[in-house]
Amino acid sequence: MSQPQQSTVRNRLLKALSRDDFALLQPHLELISTELKQTLIAPNEPVRQLFFPESGYCSLATQASGTGKVEAGIIGREGGIGATPVLLGADRTPHHCFIQAAGEMLAIDTPAMCAAFDRSPSLRKVLLRFVQVQFVEAVHTAFVNARYQTEVRLARWILMSHDRGDSDELAMTHDFVSMMLGVQRTSATIAIQALEGNRLIKAQRGRLTVLDRKGLEALADDSYGMPRLSMPA
Amino acid sequence: MPRYFLSLRHRPGVNGLAVDHEGDELTDETLVRAHALHVARQMITQDRLAIIRDWKECSFEITDEAGQHVMTVPFTEVVLNEGDG
Repeated sequence: MSQPQQSTVRNRLLKALSRDDFALLQPHLELISTELKQTLIAPNEPVRQLFFPESGYCSLATQASGTGKVEAGIIGREGGIGATPVLLGADRTPHHCFIQAAGEMLAIDTPAMCAAFDRSPSLRKVLLRFVQVQFVEAVHTAFVNARYQTEVRLARWILMSHDRGDSDELAMTHDFVSMMLGVQRTSATIAIQALEGNRLIKAQRGRLTVLDRKGLEALADDSYGMPRLSMPA
Repeated sequence: MPRYFLSLRHRPGVNGLAVDHEGDELTDETLVRAHALHVARQMITQDRLAIIRDWKECSFEITDEAGQHVMTVPFTEVVLNEGDG
């Protein structure tokens, strides 16, 4: 299979690299297809590969004993999955990374990535910038979860998913939405119905369709805008 | 295992019913009631929704796979412990 070319990659981190830095990674990048709910990084197990989404996106979820998972972040083509633990010197993470929207990703083995980091400070700098974005976003998620009601959190989460997808249609059950927001499924259903009542989304079995993005942004207000500004262009 | 659907009535009228299309698998109606009370308690103590004015006005309207009404579980039946929000 031919190697990915920087001129045609869609991942924004890979696009942001210098030509030399991309050349360091290029021989090691492998294009893979992802499936819904596929685990990319299992909690507390060594991170064997990093992933740069070309399309689709993944959820970063945290789990406490005896309760379900709650989502702490979404990574799509603006970022790299596994970059945070590996770049910060950890060989594993307590978080579960799994596919929320299927697509394609460029995968690279951890040792190859680490060797490239060691050779190039400018490569490290681009990826550390993403680590900072992810940190800012995670702290903002904590703020939003403490401060905002479910309807606003749902609007924010739909916008974050919509940002990372290629379609107005998002495949998700109410059960999945409830897990992502850390609320009961009934609460997810009520919030979905509220947004649908305001004609912001259309809900059908197993999917939500964005009808009025501006309206969702108005509802999400401060909960959504800030971390977006800190994303690399 | 039978599947039961826990729709939430939070105010009168068609817009006041959040219809559950996904459901939960539960062995019998005793467990259905216990599950509904558990979910109601979790919602009252942990979930915050702008549209809910008063949890005491809410109830679960539970149906089976045939769409037949099985039972109504008012949130007023939830027993809160001391210290619950």
